Amino acid sequence: MSAVDAPALALTSGGPASVKRGRLRATARLLRLELRHNAMLWMIPVVAGLFWFTTYRKVMSMPPLWYPRAAALQPRLLLVFVCPVAGAAAWMGSREARRRTVDVVSITARSRCVRQLITWAATAGWAVLAYLGCIGVVYGVTARQAIAGGPLWWPVAVGAASLAALSALGFAAGALAPSRFTGPLTSIAAFFALALSTQLINGSQSYWVVSPVVAAPWDLGPVPGVAIFYHYLPDLPIAQVMFLAGLTAAVLGALALPRNSGRRSLRAAAAVVTAAGLLAAVTAVRLAGTGKLDAHGMIAIPALHDAANDRPIRFTPVCSHTAIPVCLNPAYASDLPGVASALEPVLTEIAGLPGAPARILQASVVYHQGAGNGVSVGQAGPTISGTPPAYHLLLPDQLNGPAFTTSQLADVTRATLGPALIIQLTGYGPAASPAQRAVTEALLTDANLRPQSLALPPGPPGSSGPSGPSVPSGRGQVRTRAPSTPPWLLPGSPVVAAARRFAALPVSARRTWLLHHLPALRAGQIPLAQLP
Amino acid sequence: MTTNTSVPAASDHNARPTRSPRTELHRPRRATPSKRIRTALARNARELHPLRSRLGWIPASPARNRQAAQPPQIALRLGRSRGQPNPAAPSPNLRRTRRLRTALRLGRLHAASRRIPAALVAIAACAVGLRIALLGHWDSYGALQLPLVFETGAAAVITVAPASPIGDPERVAGRWLPYLRLVAALVLTATATVALAAAGTGAHLAGGWLDVLRNVAGSTGIGLLCAAAIGAGLAWAGPAAYLLAGVYGLYTQWHHPALTTPWLWPARPPHDLGATICASLIFTLGMAAVTVRGARDPAGQTD
Repeated sequence: MSAVDAPALALTSGGPASVKRGRLRATARLLRLELRHNAMLWMIPVVAGLFWFTTYRKVMSMPPLWYPRAAALQPRLLLVFVCPVAGAAAWMGSREARRRTVDVVSITARSRCVRQLITWAATAGWAVLAYLGCIGVVYGVTARQAIAGGPLWWPVAVGAASLAALSALGFAAGALAPSRFTGPLTSIAAFFALALSTQLINGSQSYWVVSPVVAAPWDLGPVPGVAIFYHYLPDLPIAQVMFLAGLTAAVLGALALPRNSGRRSLRAAAAVVTAAGLLAAVTAVRLAGTGKLDAHGMIAIPALHDAANDRPIRFTPVCSHTAIPVCLNPAYASDLPGVASALEPVLTEIAGLPGAPARILQASVVYHQGAGNGVSVGQAGPTISGTPPAYHLLLPDQLNGPAFTTSQLADVTRATLGPALIIQLTGYGPAASPAQRAVTEALLTDANLRPQSLALPPGPPGSSGPSGPSVPSGRGQVRTRAPSTPPWLLPGSPVVAAARRFAALPVSARRTWLLHHLPALRAGQIPLAQLP
Repeated sequence: MTTNTSVPAASDHNARPTRSPRTELHRPRRATPSKRIRTALARNARELHPLRSRLGWIPASPARNRQAAQPPQIALRLGRSRGQPNPAAPSPNLRRTRRLRTALRLGRLHAASRRIPAALVAIAACAVGLRIALLGHWDSYGALQLPLVFETGAAAVITVAPASPIGDPERVAGRWLPYLRLVAALVLTATATVALAAAGTGAHLAGGWLDVLRNVAGSTGIGLLCAAAIGAGLAWAGPAAYLLAGVYGLYTQWHHPALTTPWLWPARPPHDLGATICASLIFTLGMAAVTVRGARDPAGQTD
């Protein structure tokens, strides 16, 4: 018995129920045969090797946060699958013509479009299964490493829908132009279309963001600080899934339109499916074109946006046991020991002084789309707020910079936040008095911070500090500031001499003087000569 | 007692069965072909038999086999040494012309069976595509990845070309087949390199023609090795997979740690010696594999 004569046998053995059961059984058997003899099965080792080489190692080197890993995984994994899936689908689509069995199989019980649908389903099924395997590996490891949050499933859905669409396109190419060259050319063309189509994206408001390789605002990338303080926005993934599902339906429906593909009713249904698919795809493209970068680093599409996602996520911070507690979002709990130990000298120096913060609290980042592909990044809210006062900090790995090791993160935090805390305490600024400059310099020296920090102009209120070494500026570009030594810090200047004298005081004497004179110092009422 | 029987004795294997008169009488007469058809068949047989024998497609005639197997003194006894020209044989010029025509016909048939014309069209399409793409404005990523994509496309086309629609029967029937495979692969690779380099003339082609030569040769080598190992039908998976590895290698030039191994030659500069050696080695291995073994395809699997 072959897969296609099962319904005939079922007809003889019972009523309509058994006929239906027999048809289902035959379809399942045909699907099983197609699964066993599918070219995509041979592509799985290739995919596994590429996944490990290009994706797994890179994604695993990211911080153990769900959003950056999921957002980085989606385009990378898709590029791993695009060539094998499109090529294998084209190979399977051209099988009947390649083996010259078109006439032979045309007399079987299954119509042409049903046979093609089952072959496509087998190809897409293997591809999605391999894709889910790769996702399972990354998500499984991340689940063991991540402290807060949960897996994001919308990127997974976009990837699965992309594979279905890719296999449908490849299958259609193979069925319509059966040749030995269809497979390779389809696979390379699909790679070209996916990997290089993003060149056309200009800003966040672009129709091209509907491309499934766009998992985050294209100018920003998968920034680690996104979707931690605010909910993940599924607006763009919804539009992408809609587009991909519509494209798949349109392509598969179009395959069933030719006269020899089945009954008239079947072709009429295929025409309806094709039209509906095209409509869905066009609608999704138009929706994607209305999306724009929101303040939390994701693309919001007004027609698909849920206002509930704009509320911040409530969390209980994890705090250090330093003189001034450093409190971070639980997602960054792994950074806490390094950050606290790096800031401990500064925090011990300023703890209890007038104007010193009661605690250091991690803040979220706000994003603003600039002209062209530029994105400006800043800190949400004021630097100091609340009673007792809390100093809000941005960790360097919340920004779109290079990935940091624990020691690098500690060094950068100490070099940026340490001077910012002292400057905030002494009221140092462009109009600071010489005494303010000298005390600031002395405190920085005592805390083993770089004196060159003073050379940098104070940063904007939202930035991570006046001595921030780098400011991300979209697409991984980093704008650096070259330090220059101001005249009051030149050797032999009165400010430097006073700073050395103040720093040479015993800690208790310095602290007592600051306790009594810090408000006056901040107000600029203490001349340089009054410094001890 | 002797019996008149048509069945030979069991011990006499060389004895031919005698046909009884009754059998002879009742045997249906074969339809006699017309004189014109007979003449044409005889002419075809005369013309094609030596040609097929020379090509090794069919064994040489029994007489020729006997002559070749006999020692020289027997040849002398037949009245003519082997090196002595046969007065009935065609002149050397005619023989050369026939050989040339035979070689051309053989090459044409081989090219047709490997879809070489279609492969050339596909390679030309890759070159045209590259030229059109180079007209656009690309950022650094795109400008570096763009030529590699089209080079891989051309290499993938070369890779699937060796698939034989005849399969094993062809392997055992012709001694010129390895040379034909080698020439076909070389011609396609050279055509792809020249076409892609020409497509980049006058435009900003990242890496220049040296990069094109190295990448096309290396990717083709990978593809031909895959063709010899798994069959030409799906051998494009090799160059396609290497495309992603190459693109990733280029990507790591921006996002460290950079991959500097010469085995990822697309990520190396055009004048890098190690990368050139690696690509050349793979190309040589691929050529050798496909020349000696050919693509591993069963008959009837490819168009």
